Amino acid sequence: MAASKEELLNRLSDCVLEMEDEEVTGVAEEYVDAGYEALDGIMEGLVDGMNKASDLYDQEEYFVTDLLLCSDAMYAGLDVLRPHLPEEETSQKPRAVIGVVEGDTHDIGKNLVRIMMETAGFEMYDLGRDVPLDDFVTKAKEVNASLVMMSTLMTTTMMGMPEVIKKLEEAGIRDQVKVMIGGSPISRKYADDIGADGYSANAVEAVKVAKQLLGME
Amino acid sequence: MHKDDQMTPKERMAGFFSGKDIDRIPILPFVTAVSGKAIGMTHREKRSSAENLFKCQSACYERFGHDSISVEYGLHGIGTAMGSVTNNPENNVPAIMDHYLKNLNDLDSKLDLSKIERKNDPWAQMNYEMAQMTLDKYGSEVGVSLSTPGPITAASSLYPIEKLLRATRKDPDHVHQLLRFATDAIKLLAKEFMDGGVGISLCDPVASGTILNEKSYREFVLPYTKEIIQFIHDYGKSVTYHVCGDTSALTEAMVESGCNVLSIDNRVSLEDTKKRVGNQIVLMGNVDPISKMMQGTPEDVEEAVKECLRQGYDNPKGYLLSTGCGIPIDSPIENIDTFMKAGRKYGKWPLDPERFA
Repeated sequence: MAASKEELLNRLSDCVLEMEDEEVTGVAEEYVDAGYEALDGIMEGLVDGMNKASDLYDQEEYFVTDLLLCSDAMYAGLDVLRPHLPEEETSQKPRAVIGVVEGDTHDIGKNLVRIMMETAGFEMYDLGRDVPLDDFVTKAKEVNASLVMMSTLMTTTMMGMPEVIKKLEEAGIRDQVKVMIGGSPISRKYADDIGADGYSANAVEAVKVAKQLLGME
Repeated sequence: MHKDDQMTPKERMAGFFSGKDIDRIPILPFVTAVSGKAIGMTHREKRSSAENLFKCQSACYERFGHDSISVEYGLHGIGTAMGSVTNNPENNVPAIMDHYLKNLNDLDSKLDLSKIERKNDPWAQMNYEMAQMTLDKYGSEVGVSLSTPGPITAASSLYPIEKLLRATRKDPDHVHQLLRFATDAIKLLAKEFMDGGVGISLCDPVASGTILNEKSYREFVLPYTKEIIQFIHDYGKSVTYHVCGDTSALTEAMVESGCNVLSIDNRVSLEDTKKRVGNQIVLMGNVDPISKMMQGTPEDVEEAVKECLRQGYDNPKGYLLSTGCGIPIDSPIENIDTFMKAGRKYGKWPLDPERFA
Protein backbone atom coordinates (compact mmCIF):
# COMPACT_ATOMS: atom_id res chain seq x y z
CA MET A 1 0.00 0.00 0.00
CA ALA A 2 1.28 3.48 -0.85
CA ALA A 3 2.45 5.63 2.03
CA SER A 4 0.26 8.57 3.05
CA LYS A 5 1.46 12.10 2.49
CA GLU A 6 1.81 12.67 6.20
CA GLU A 7 3.85 9.52 6.61
CA LEU A 8 6.23 10.57 3.84
CA LEU A 9 6.53 14.10 5.24
CA ASN A 10 7.50 12.61 8.59
CA ARG A 11 10.05 10.38 6.92
CA LEU A 12 11.55 13.32 5.00
CA SER A 13 11.80 15.28 8.22
CA ASP A 14 13.35 12.32 10.05
CA CYS A 15 15.88 11.73 7.28
CA VAL A 16 17.13 15.29 7.68
CA LEU A 17 17.13 15.15 11.46
CA GLU A 18 18.92 11.80 11.43
CA MET A 19 21.38 12.88 8.72
CA GLU A 20 20.32 10.18 6.23
CA ASP A 21 21.65 11.87 3.11
CA GLU A 22 21.21 8.75 0.95
CA GLU A 23 17.89 7.45 2.21
CA VAL A 24 16.35 10.91 1.84
CA THR A 25 16.69 10.76 -1.94
CA GLY A 26 14.58 7.62 -2.15
CA VAL A 27 11.93 9.02 0.17
CA ALA A 28 11.78 12.27 -1.81
CA GLU A 29 11.36 10.31 -5.05
CA GLU A 30 8.61 8.22 -3.51
CA TYR A 31 6.92 11.45 -2.39
CA VAL A 32 7.09 12.99 -5.87
CA ASP A 33 5.97 9.76 -7.57
CA ALA A 34 2.92 9.68 -5.30
CA GLY A 35 1.99 13.08 -6.74
CA TYR A 36 2.16 15.11 -3.55
CA GLU A 37 3.07 18.80 -3.70
CA ALA A 38 6.80 19.53 -3.82
CA LEU A 39 6.48 22.72 -1.77
CA ASP A 40 4.87 20.86 1.12
CA GLY A 41 7.59 18.24 0.89
CA ILE A 42 10.18 20.95 1.28
CA MET A 43 8.50 23.02 3.98
CA GLU A 44 6.75 20.34 6.06
CA GLY A 45 9.31 17.62 5.40
CA LEU A 46 12.89 18.72 4.79
CA VAL A 47 12.73 22.16 6.40
CA ASP A 48 10.79 20.77 9.34
CA GLY A 49 13.65 18.32 9.94
CA MET A 50 16.22 21.09 9.66
CA ASN A 51 14.24 23.23 12.11
CA LYS A 52 14.19 20.37 14.57
CA ALA A 53 17.95 20.04 14.12
CA SER A 54 18.39 23.72 14.86
CA ASP A 55 16.28 23.35 18.01
CA LEU A 56 18.60 20.55 19.11
CA TYR A 57 21.57 22.80 18.29
CA ASP A 58 20.04 25.49 20.49
CA GLN A 59 19.75 22.94 23.29
CA GLU A 60 23.38 21.90 22.71
CA GLU A 61 22.28 18.38 21.80
CA TYR A 62 23.52 18.88 18.24
CA PHE A 63 26.83 20.46 17.27
CA VAL A 64 28.37 21.89 14.13
CA THR A 65 29.07 18.46 12.66
CA ASP A 66 25.44 17.42 13.14
CA LEU A 67 24.11 20.56 11.46
CA LEU A 68 26.43 20.03 8.50
CA LEU A 69 25.27 16.45 8.04
CA CYS A 70 21.60 17.39 8.48
CA SER A 71 22.03 20.06 5.84
CA ASP A 72 23.64 17.54 3.47
CA ALA A 73 20.50 15.43 3.80
CA MET A 74 18.26 18.47 3.32
CA TYR A 75 20.08 19.53 0.14
CA ALA A 76 19.98 15.97 -1.21
CA GLY A 77 16.21 16.01 -0.72
CA LEU A 78 15.91 19.48 -2.24
CA ASP A 79 17.71 18.30 -5.37
CA VAL A 80 14.85 15.87 -5.90
CA LEU A 81 11.94 18.13 -4.94
CA ARG A 82 12.99 21.51 -6.38
CA PRO A 83 12.51 20.64 -10.06
CA HIS A 84 8.87 19.88 -9.21
CA LEU A 85 8.14 23.31 -7.76
CA PRO A 86 5.76 25.49 -9.77
CA GLU A 87 7.66 28.45 -11.25
CA GLU A 88 6.02 31.25 -9.29
CA GLU A 89 6.75 29.69 -5.92
CA THR A 90 10.42 30.65 -6.07
CA SER A 91 10.34 34.41 -6.57
CA GLN A 92 8.88 35.96 -3.44
CA LYS A 93 11.68 35.22 -1.00
CA PRO A 94 13.62 37.98 0.77
CA ARG A 95 17.14 38.15 -0.62
CA ALA A 96 20.36 38.23 1.32
CA VAL A 97 23.99 38.58 0.27
CA ILE A 98 26.49 36.73 2.46
CA GLY A 99 30.26 36.31 2.53
CA VAL A 100 33.49 36.18 4.51
CA VAL A 101 35.19 39.56 4.27
CA GLU A 102 38.39 40.09 2.33
CA GLY A 103 41.55 38.67 3.87
CA ASP A 104 39.90 35.76 5.64
CA THR A 105 39.20 32.26 4.43
CA HIS A 106 37.52 30.71 7.46
CA ASP A 107 34.02 30.03 6.23
CA ILE A 108 32.43 27.29 8.30
CA GLY A 109 30.38 29.79 10.33
CA LYS A 110 29.28 31.65 7.23
CA ASN A 111 28.24 28.37 5.59
CA LEU A 112 26.13 27.41 8.58
CA VAL A 113 24.39 30.78 8.54
CA ARG A 114 23.70 30.41 4.82
CA ILE A 115 22.22 26.96 5.39
CA MET A 116 19.96 28.11 8.23
CA MET A 117 18.87 31.19 6.27
CA GLU A 118 18.01 29.07 3.25
CA THR A 119 16.08 26.75 5.51
CA ALA A 120 14.15 29.73 6.80
CA GLY A 121 13.13 30.70 3.28
CA PHE A 122 15.66 33.37 2.33
CA GLU A 123 17.15 33.49 -1.12
CA MET A 124 20.86 33.49 -0.40
CA TYR A 125 23.61 34.90 -2.61
CA ASP A 126 26.80 33.40 -1.23
CA LEU A 127 29.90 35.32 -2.34
CA GLY A 128 32.17 32.75 -0.66
CA ARG A 129 35.29 33.59 1.31
CA ASP A 130 37.95 36.29 1.01
CA VAL A 131 35.35 38.53 -0.65
CA PRO A 132 36.50 41.95 -1.95
CA LEU A 133 34.55 44.61 -0.04
CA ASP A 134 33.06 46.18 -3.17
CA ASP A 135 31.51 42.86 -4.14
CA PHE A 136 29.08 42.99 -1.21
CA VAL A 137 27.74 46.31 -2.51
CA THR A 138 27.69 45.32 -6.17
CA LYS A 139 25.83 42.09 -5.45
CA ALA A 140 23.36 43.74 -3.07
CA LYS A 141 22.48 46.26 -5.79
CA GLU A 142 22.32 43.66 -8.52
CA VAL A 143 19.87 41.36 -6.73
CA ASN A 144 18.04 44.08 -4.83
CA ALA A 145 18.93 42.44 -1.53
CA SER A 146 17.31 43.38 1.73
CA LEU A 147 20.13 41.94 3.84
CA VAL A 148 23.93 42.06 3.70
CA MET A 149 25.61 39.53 5.99
CA MET A 150 29.34 39.54 6.73
CA SER A 151 31.45 37.12 8.69
CA THR A 152 35.07 36.88 9.81
CA LEU A 153 37.18 34.86 12.21
CA MET A 154 40.20 37.12 12.10
CA THR A 155 40.65 40.40 13.93
CA THR A 156 42.61 41.83 11.02
CA THR A 157 39.70 41.54 8.65
CA MET A 158 36.89 42.74 10.90
CA MET A 159 37.92 46.30 9.94
CA GLY A 160 36.54 45.53 6.49
CA MET A 161 33.00 45.48 7.88
CA PRO A 162 32.65 49.23 8.56
CA GLU A 163 34.22 49.80 5.15
CA VAL A 164 31.41 47.85 3.51
CA ILE A 165 28.85 49.85 5.47
CA LYS A 166 30.49 53.05 4.24
CA LYS A 167 30.43 51.75 0.69
CA LEU A 168 26.74 50.93 0.99
CA GLU A 169 26.17 54.54 2.04
CA GLU A 170 28.23 55.88 -0.84
CA ALA A 171 26.26 53.71 -3.24
CA GLY A 172 23.08 55.22 -1.85
CA ILE A 173 21.55 51.90 -0.76
CA ARG A 174 22.36 51.88 2.94
CA ASP A 175 18.72 52.53 3.88
CA GLN A 176 17.51 49.73 1.61
CA VAL A 177 19.47 46.96 3.33
CA LYS A 178 19.94 45.70 6.83
CA VAL A 179 23.53 44.79 7.69
CA MET A 180 24.28 41.80 9.91
CA ILE A 181 27.71 40.72 11.11
CA GLY A 182 29.09 37.75 12.99
CA GLY A 183 32.15 35.63 13.68
CA SER A 184 34.36 34.78 16.59
CA PRO A 185 35.98 38.20 17.22
CA ILE A 186 32.71 40.08 16.65
CA SER A 187 30.53 41.28 19.50
CA ARG A 188 27.24 43.08 19.79
CA LYS A 189 29.19 46.12 20.93
CA TYR A 190 31.35 46.05 17.80
CA ALA A 191 28.22 45.79 15.67
CA ASP A 192 26.79 48.85 17.44
CA ASP A 193 30.09 50.74 17.15
CA ILE A 194 30.32 50.34 13.38
CA GLY A 195 26.63 50.95 12.75
CA ALA A 196 25.61 47.42 11.75
CA ASP A 197 21.94 46.64 12.26
CA GLY A 198 22.30 43.17 13.70
CA TYR A 199 24.68 40.71 15.32
CA SER A 200 24.27 37.09 16.22
CA ALA A 201 26.49 34.66 18.08
CA ASN A 202 25.49 31.61 16.05
CA ALA A 203 23.70 30.44 12.92
CA VAL A 204 20.38 29.62 14.53
CA GLU A 205 20.15 33.00 16.21
CA ALA A 206 21.12 34.69 12.93
CA VAL A 207 17.79 33.63 11.41
CA LYS A 208 15.84 35.11 14.31
CA VAL A 209 17.76 38.38 14.07
CA ALA A 210 17.28 38.55 10.29
CA LYS A 211 13.55 38.02 10.61
CA GLN A 212 13.28 40.66 13.31
CA LEU A 213 15.24 43.17 11.25
CA LEU A 214 12.98 42.64 8.27
CA GLY A 215 9.81 42.70 10.35
CA MET A 216 8.95 39.14 9.42
CA GLU A 217 7.99 38.07 12.92
CA MET B 1 66.33 41.20 32.97
CA HIS B 2 63.63 43.89 32.78
CA LYS B 3 64.33 47.02 34.82
CA ASP B 4 61.12 46.68 36.84
CA ASP B 5 61.79 43.09 37.94
CA GLN B 6 63.90 41.54 40.66
CA MET B 7 64.18 38.07 39.16
CA THR B 8 64.76 36.68 35.69
CA PRO B 9 61.83 34.84 34.10
CA LYS B 10 63.70 31.55 34.53
CA GLU B 11 64.22 32.14 38.26
CA ARG B 12 60.61 33.26 38.62
CA MET B 13 59.10 30.30 36.77
CA ALA B 14 61.28 27.84 38.68
CA GLY B 15 60.26 29.48 41.94
CA PHE B 16 56.60 29.47 41.01
CA PHE B 17 56.54 25.77 40.16
CA SER B 18 58.50 24.76 43.26
CA GLY B 19 56.36 26.88 45.59
CA LYS B 20 59.08 29.33 46.58
CA ASP B 21 58.78 33.09 47.02
CA ILE B 22 59.07 35.11 43.85
CA ASP B 23 59.01 38.83 43.06
CA ARG B 24 55.72 38.87 41.12
CA ILE B 25 53.20 36.66 39.37
CA PRO B 26 54.49 35.22 36.09
CA ILE B 27 53.03 37.21 33.19
CA LEU B 28 52.63 35.42 29.87
CA PRO B 29 50.75 37.48 27.27
CA PHE B 30 50.48 35.71 23.87
CA VAL B 31 52.93 37.89 21.96
CA THR B 32 53.06 36.31 18.51
CA ALA B 33 51.23 37.89 15.55
CA VAL B 34 51.67 41.34 17.10
CA SER B 35 55.43 41.08 17.71
CA GLY B 36 56.50 43.00 14.59
CA LYS B 37 54.89 46.12 15.97
CA ALA B 38 57.69 46.48 18.51
CA ILE B 39 60.06 47.46 15.67
CA GLY B 40 57.57 48.54 13.00
CA MET B 41 58.04 45.42 10.87
CA THR B 42 55.21 44.00 8.80
CA HIS B 43 54.19 40.38 9.27
CA ARG B 44 55.41 39.45 5.78
CA GLU B 45 58.84 40.96 6.46
CA LYS B 46 58.99 39.21 9.81
CA ARG B 47 58.24 35.75 8.50
CA SER B 48 60.78 36.10 5.68
CA SER B 49 63.84 35.23 7.78
CA ALA B 50 65.02 33.75 11.07
CA GLU B 51 66.85 36.99 11.74
CA ASN B 52 63.65 39.04 11.43
CA LEU B 53 61.63 36.61 13.53
CA PHE B 54 64.34 36.91 16.16
CA LYS B 55 64.48 40.71 16.00
CA CYS B 56 60.75 41.02 16.63
CA GLN B 57 60.63 38.62 19.58
CA SER B 58 63.84 40.07 20.98
CA ALA B 59 62.45 43.62 20.85
CA CYS B 60 59.26 42.46 22.59
CA TYR B 61 61.17 40.71 25.34
CA GLU B 62 63.43 43.73 25.91
CA ARG B 63 60.40 45.98 26.11
CA PHE B 64 57.94 43.86 28.10
CA GLY B 65 60.10 41.45 30.09
CA HIS B 66 57.35 38.83 29.86
CA ASP B 67 58.09 35.34 31.12
CA SER B 68 58.46 33.32 27.92
CA ILE B 69 59.64 34.03 24.39
CA SER B 70 57.57 32.50 21.59
CA VAL B 71 58.75 30.75 18.47
CA GLU B 72 56.15 31.83 15.90
CA TYR B 73 55.88 28.55 14.02
CA GLY B 74 52.11 28.98 13.91
CA LEU B 75 49.22 26.61 13.33
CA HIS B 76 49.66 25.69 9.66
CA GLY B 77 53.27 24.47 9.71
CA ILE B 78 52.49 20.78 9.38
CA GLY B 79 50.08 21.51 6.54
CA THR B 80 52.54 23.65 4.61
CA ALA B 81 55.38 21.16 5.18
CA MET B 82 53.24 18.55 3.43
CA GLY B 83 52.07 20.79 0.59
CA SER B 84 49.09 22.87 1.72
CA VAL B 85 49.32 26.37 0.26
CA THR B 86 48.72 29.61 2.16
CA ASN B 87 48.19 33.15 0.97
CA ASN B 88 50.89 35.76 1.62
CA PRO B 89 49.28 38.78 3.28
CA GLU B 90 51.36 41.87 3.95
CA ASN B 91 50.34 42.34 7.53
CA ASN B 92 48.35 39.33 8.69
CA VAL B 93 48.95 35.73 9.64
CA PRO B 94 48.71 33.63 6.46
CA ALA B 95 45.59 31.52 5.93
CA ILE B 96 45.39 28.22 4.04
CA MET B 97 43.99 28.65 0.54
CA ASP B 98 44.45 25.13 -0.76
CA HIS B 99 44.65 22.02 1.40
CA TYR B 100 47.13 19.25 0.61
CA LEU B 101 44.53 16.49 0.90
CA LYS B 102 41.51 16.49 -1.40
CA ASN B 103 40.03 13.29 -0.01
CA LEU B 104 40.88 10.68 2.58
CA ASN B 105 41.13 7.69 0.28
CA ASP B 106 44.80 7.64 -0.58
CA LEU B 107 46.31 8.54 2.77
CA ASP B 108 48.86 5.72 2.62
CA SER B 109 50.54 7.18 -0.41
CA LYS B 110 50.08 10.83 0.57
CA LEU B 111 51.31 10.89 4.14
CA ASP B 112 55.08 11.00 4.45
CA LEU B 113 56.53 11.86 7.84
CA SER B 114 59.96 12.76 6.46
CA LYS B 115 58.48 15.96 4.96
CA ILE B 116 58.00 17.23 8.51
CA GLU B 117 61.67 16.89 9.36
CA ARG B 118 63.41 20.19 9.79
CA LYS B 119 65.96 19.42 7.09
CA ASN B 120 63.10 19.04 4.60
CA ASP B 121 60.91 21.93 5.75
CA PRO B 122 62.37 25.43 5.34
CA TRP B 123 59.72 27.00 7.63
CA ALA B 124 60.55 24.66 10.53
CA GLN B 125 64.25 25.24 9.90
CA MET B 126 63.78 29.04 9.94
CA ASN B 127 61.94 28.85 13.24
CA TYR B 128 64.57 26.53 14.66
CA GLU B 129 67.31 29.01 13.74
CA MET B 130 65.29 31.82 15.30
CA ALA B 131 65.02 29.75 18.48
CA GLN B 132 68.78 29.16 18.55
CA MET B 133 69.51 32.89 18.15
CA THR B 134 67.11 33.58 21.00
CA LEU B 135 68.64 30.94 23.25
CA ASP B 136 72.15 32.24 22.49
CA LYS B 137 71.20 35.72 23.61
CA TYR B 138 68.62 35.10 26.35
CA GLY B 139 68.79 31.41 27.14
CA SER B 140 70.27 31.96 30.59
CA GLU B 141 67.39 34.15 31.72
CA VAL B 142 64.16 33.21 29.90
CA GLY B 143 62.58 30.10 28.42
CA VAL B 144 61.91 29.86 24.70
CA SER B 145 58.73 28.03 23.73
CA LEU B 146 57.40 26.57 20.50
CA SER B 147 53.64 26.52 20.23
CA THR B 148 52.83 23.45 18.16
CA PRO B 149 49.39 22.83 16.69
CA GLY B 150 47.36 20.13 18.42
CA PRO B 151 46.32 16.97 16.53
CA ILE B 152 43.01 18.07 15.04
CA THR B 153 44.35 21.52 14.15
CA ALA B 154 47.28 19.87 12.38
CA ALA B 155 44.86 17.52 10.61
CA SER B 156 42.74 20.43 9.46
CA SER B 157 45.81 22.14 8.02
CA LEU B 158 45.97 19.13 5.70
CA TYR B 159 42.26 18.61 4.99
CA PRO B 160 39.46 21.24 5.14
CA ILE B 161 37.65 21.38 8.44
CA GLU B 162 34.11 20.98 7.09
CA LYS B 163 35.07 17.82 5.26
CA LEU B 164 37.00 16.59 8.27
CA LEU B 165 34.00 17.08 10.56
CA ARG B 166 31.69 15.21 8.17
CA ALA B 167 34.24 12.41 7.95
CA THR B 168 34.25 11.99 11.74
CA ARG B 169 30.82 10.38 11.19
CA LYS B 170 31.04 8.99 7.68
CA ASP B 171 34.59 7.76 7.61
CA PRO B 172 36.02 7.69 11.13
CA ASP B 173 38.74 5.14 10.30
CA HIS B 174 40.40 7.48 7.84
CA VAL B 175 40.02 10.38 10.24
CA HIS B 176 41.88 8.33 12.83
CA GLN B 177 44.53 7.49 10.27
CA LEU B 178 44.99 11.19 9.55
CA LEU B 179 45.09 12.04 13.26
CA ARG B 180 47.65 9.26 13.77
CA PHE B 181 49.85 10.96 11.20
CA ALA B 182 49.26 14.43 12.69
CA THR B 183 50.22 13.10 16.12
CA ASP B 184 53.43 11.51 14.85
CA ALA B 185 54.23 14.74 12.99
CA ILE B 186 53.73 16.85 16.10
CA LYS B 187 55.93 14.51 18.14
CA LEU B 188 58.64 14.68 15.51
CA LEU B 189 58.49 18.47 15.41
CA ALA B 190 58.48 18.72 19.21
CA LYS B 191 61.43 16.35 19.50
CA GLU B 192 63.57 18.33 17.07
CA PHE B 193 62.90 21.56 18.95
CA MET B 194 63.30 20.00 22.41
CA ASP B 195 66.66 18.61 21.24
CA GLY B 196 67.52 22.24 20.55
CA GLY B 197 66.60 23.37 24.06
CA VAL B 198 63.13 24.73 23.27
CA GLY B 199 60.02 24.18 25.43
CA ILE B 200 56.68 23.10 24.00
CA SER B 201 53.15 24.36 24.36
CA LEU B 202 50.23 22.80 22.57
CA CYS B 203 47.54 24.89 20.89
CA ASP B 204 44.49 23.21 19.35
CA PRO B 205 41.92 25.82 18.25
CA VAL B 206 39.97 23.36 16.09
CA ALA B 207 39.22 21.28 19.21
CA SER B 208 37.14 24.24 20.41
CA GLY B 209 33.90 23.53 22.21
CA THR B 210 32.31 25.80 19.62
CA ILE B 211 33.05 23.11 17.02
CA LEU B 212 33.25 19.79 18.85
CA ASN B 213 31.15 18.34 21.63
CA GLU B 214 32.69 16.39 24.48
CA LYS B 215 32.01 13.02 22.89
CA SER B 216 33.85 13.96 19.69
CA TYR B 217 36.62 15.58 21.70
CA ARG B 218 37.11 12.39 23.68
CA GLU B 219 37.11 10.25 20.56
CA PHE B 220 39.13 12.33 18.11
CA VAL B 221 41.25 14.70 20.18
CA LEU B 222 41.94 13.52 23.70
CA PRO B 223 43.73 10.18 23.04
CA TYR B 224 46.18 11.81 20.64
CA THR B 225 46.68 14.82 22.90
CA LYS B 226 47.46 12.53 25.83
CA GLU B 227 50.02 10.70 23.76
CA ILE B 228 51.76 13.94 22.69
CA ILE B 229 51.83 15.28 26.24
CA GLN B 230 53.15 11.98 27.60
CA PHE B 231 55.86 12.07 24.95
CA ILE B 232 56.93 15.55 26.08
CA HIS B 233 56.81 14.51 29.73
CA ASP B 234 58.98 11.48 28.98
CA TYR B 235 61.47 13.90 27.47
CA GLY B 236 61.49 15.71 30.82
CA LYS B 237 59.53 18.83 29.90
CA SER B 238 56.19 20.29 30.92
CA VAL B 239 53.34 21.34 28.63
CA THR B 240 50.94 24.26 28.55
CA TYR B 241 47.74 23.40 26.70
CA HIS B 242 45.43 25.91 25.05
CA VAL B 243 42.20 25.38 23.14
CA CYS B 244 40.40 28.43 21.74
CA GLY B 245 36.80 29.50 22.17
CA ASP B 246 34.26 28.33 24.68
CA THR B 247 35.61 25.06 26.07
CA SER B 248 33.53 25.10 29.27
CA ALA B 249 32.01 21.71 28.37
CA LEU B 250 35.47 20.20 27.84
CA THR B 251 37.28 21.45 30.95
CA GLU B 252 37.59 18.11 32.78
CA ALA B 253 38.46 16.26 29.58
CA MET B 254 41.19 18.79 28.77
CA VAL B 255 42.69 18.28 32.22
CA GLU B 256 42.72 14.51 31.58
CA SER B 257 45.20 15.23 28.78
CA GLY B 258 47.88 15.39 31.48
CA CYS B 259 48.98 18.93 30.66
CA ASN B 260 50.81 20.88 33.37
CA VAL B 261 49.18 24.24 32.74
CA LEU B 262 45.69 24.79 31.32
CA SER B 263 45.48 28.06 29.41
CA ILE B 264 41.88 29.15 29.00
CA ASP B 265 40.23 31.43 26.45
CA ASN B 266 38.45 34.59 27.59
CA ARG B 267 35.14 32.95 26.63
CA VAL B 268 35.64 30.57 29.54
CA SER B 269 35.03 31.62 33.14
CA LEU B 270 38.26 31.56 35.13
CA GLU B 271 36.24 31.49 38.35
CA ASP B 272 34.21 28.47 37.22
CA THR B 273 37.29 26.64 35.90
CA LYS B 274 39.02 27.23 39.22
CA LYS B 275 36.12 25.66 41.10
CA ARG B 276 35.98 22.64 38.80
CA VAL B 277 39.66 21.75 38.29
CA GLY B 278 41.71 24.23 40.27
CA ASN B 279 42.80 21.62 42.79
CA GLN B 280 44.29 19.55 39.96
CA ILE B 281 46.04 22.00 37.69
CA VAL B 282 47.74 25.37 37.25
CA LEU B 283 45.47 27.77 35.37
CA MET B 284 46.49 30.50 32.98
CA GLY B 285 44.42 33.28 31.46
CA ASN B 286 42.41 35.10 30.29
CA VAL B 287 42.22 38.83 29.51
CA ASP B 288 40.10 39.37 26.38
CA PRO B 289 42.52 39.96 23.49
CA ILE B 290 39.95 41.72 21.34
CA SER B 291 37.74 43.92 23.51
CA LYS B 292 40.60 44.74 25.92
CA MET B 293 44.01 44.33 24.25
CA MET B 294 42.97 45.51 20.79
CA GLN B 295 39.96 47.76 21.35
CA GLY B 296 40.35 48.72 25.02
CA THR B 297 41.82 51.79 26.67
CA PRO B 298 44.76 51.44 29.06
CA GLU B 299 42.22 51.71 31.90
CA ASP B 300 40.23 48.80 30.40
CA VAL B 301 43.38 46.68 30.25
CA GLU B 302 44.33 47.52 33.82
CA GLU B 303 40.86 46.70 35.09
CA ALA B 304 40.82 43.41 33.14
CA VAL B 305 44.13 42.38 34.72
CA LYS B 306 42.72 43.11 38.16
CA GLU B 307 39.58 41.11 37.38
CA CYS B 308 41.65 38.08 36.32
CA LEU B 309 43.70 38.33 39.48
CA ARG B 310 40.54 38.51 41.57
CA GLN B 311 39.27 35.32 39.96
CA GLY B 312 42.52 33.42 39.65
CA TYR B 313 44.87 34.39 42.47
CA ASP B 314 43.62 31.74 44.92
CA ASN B 315 43.57 28.86 42.46
CA PRO B 316 44.72 25.95 44.64
CA LYS B 317 47.36 24.75 42.16
CA GLY B 318 48.44 28.24 41.15
CA TYR B 319 47.61 30.88 38.60
CA LEU B 320 49.55 32.54 35.76
CA LEU B 321 48.45 35.87 34.28
CA SER B 322 47.90 35.78 30.55
CA THR B 323 45.67 36.81 27.69
CA GLY B 324 42.80 34.52 26.64
CA CYS B 325 44.31 33.97 23.19
CA GLY B 326 46.76 35.60 20.78
CA ILE B 327 47.01 39.38 20.94
CA PRO B 328 45.69 40.70 17.61
CA ILE B 329 48.19 42.24 15.23
CA ASP B 330 46.31 45.55 15.23
CA SER B 331 46.48 46.04 18.99
CA PRO B 332 48.20 49.17 20.28
CA ILE B 333 51.50 47.98 21.66
CA GLU B 334 51.03 50.35 24.59
CA ASN B 335 48.24 48.07 25.78
CA ILE B 336 50.80 45.30 26.24
CA ASP B 337 52.95 47.76 28.24
CA THR B 338 49.89 48.44 30.38
CA PHE B 339 49.18 44.72 30.74
CA MET B 340 52.72 44.13 32.02
CA LYS B 341 52.67 47.18 34.26
CA ALA B 342 49.36 46.18 35.82
CA GLY B 343 50.58 42.60 36.24
CA ARG B 344 53.71 43.84 38.04
CA LYS B 345 51.76 46.27 40.22
CA TYR B 346 48.83 44.10 41.26
CA GLY B 347 50.65 40.79 40.99
CA LYS B 348 53.46 41.71 43.37
CA TRP B 349 54.37 38.71 45.52
CA PRO B 350 52.92 37.55 47.81
CA LEU B 351 49.58 38.07 46.08
CA ASP B 352 47.38 40.27 48.24
CA PRO B 353 43.67 40.41 47.32
CA GLU B 354 43.45 43.85 48.99
CA ARG B 355 45.67 45.21 46.24
CA PHE B 356 43.39 44.22 43.36
CA ALA B 357 40.06 44.37 45.21
